[in-house]
Amino acid sequence: MNPLSELQLDALTEIFNIGAGRAASSLSEIVGDEVKLSVPCVQLYQSTEINADILSLNSSRLGAVKQSFNGPFHADAMLLFTEDRALEIVHDIMNSQVGVEDVAEFEQEAMCELGNIILNACLSSMADMLDVTLNSSLPVYSVGTAEVVLRQIVSESPSLMLVLHIDLNIEKRHLQGYLVFLLSSSSLQKLLAHIDRFIAGI
Amino acid sequence: MPHRNSIKTLLIVDDSRVSRMMIRTFVLAKHPHWILIEAASGDEALEIVDRDTPNYCTMDINMPGIIGTEAAAQILAKYPGISVAIFSSNIQQSHQTRAAALGAKFVAKPVTEKSVAQALDFFECKT
Repeated sequence: MNPLSELQLDALTEIFNIGAGRAASSLSEIVGDEVKLSVPCVQLYQSTEINADILSLNSSRLGAVKQSFNGPFHADAMLLFTEDRALEIVHDIMNSQVGVEDVAEFEQEAMCELGNIILNACLSSMADMLDVTLNSSLPVYSVGTAEVVLRQIVSESPSLMLVLHIDLNIEKRHLQGYLVFLLSSSSLQKLLAHIDRFIAGI
Repeated sequence: MPHRNSIKTLLIVDDSRVSRMMIRTFVLAKHPHWILIEAASGDEALEIVDRDTPNYCTMDINMPGIIGTEAAAQILAKYPGISVAIFSSNIQQSHQTRAAALGAKFVAKPVTEKSVAQALDFFECKT
């Protein structure tokens, strides 16, 4: 399903790419190296359509950072990465001060921070460009099998999911993940009304 | 009627149609007689530059195909007279350093009246 117009999708992708650019700048300062982060594609799904195959998340375990956002519309935002790669990123974020064997201990904190940076950068970009105010809850990190994490998302979620593919490269490590926004259809309509107003103002 | 020499050609390179529309709007507000050409990728920009040789170019970084800094490097190697402003939300030092090394102006996204004015000031200083 995709009730979004080409221009609405273009505007959303650009808003999230600007957010991704800001997040990459922050992450680059943390790891002291170049970080590439982009959102090549945005898609809308019914939450019942989502499964590990659609998201190409072939790893058995997923790490998920979740935050709620409130403003003119409500969304639960979730960052999903395969867990084995998430641990490598945690190691980079911890600036190699922690041995690889101890890194799991810091996983929760570091992944919350990573999620916080990426999610807030995307949402602050959206707030600035659409001229709205969005407040966020604290990030919560959970790990589980892909099946359990995705089933939990689907059961909790309102009807629609805006799925952003994310490409993250830190210190030559390549990580693909997803940023998923769970929205009710009324929240999606409010978001699209703001997008239309933004496009009309150009 | 503007003086013929004051009519400049600007190539806007960005994979986002919305960003191209915004740059177009802000530029035309200041320079209604400029000729604006658009490209949706670095590869398309390289073709256009060979055909139309613009005076100025705004270049996004993250695009499908070759990235904007690479496209800018190729354009400037071939046509050093073209002024290039690199627009990106990715304000990492490495990108800013690369832009400076190319002799291009780095401008932080989002596209706003202010960021477009920075690019236009740079273009005017160079001419």
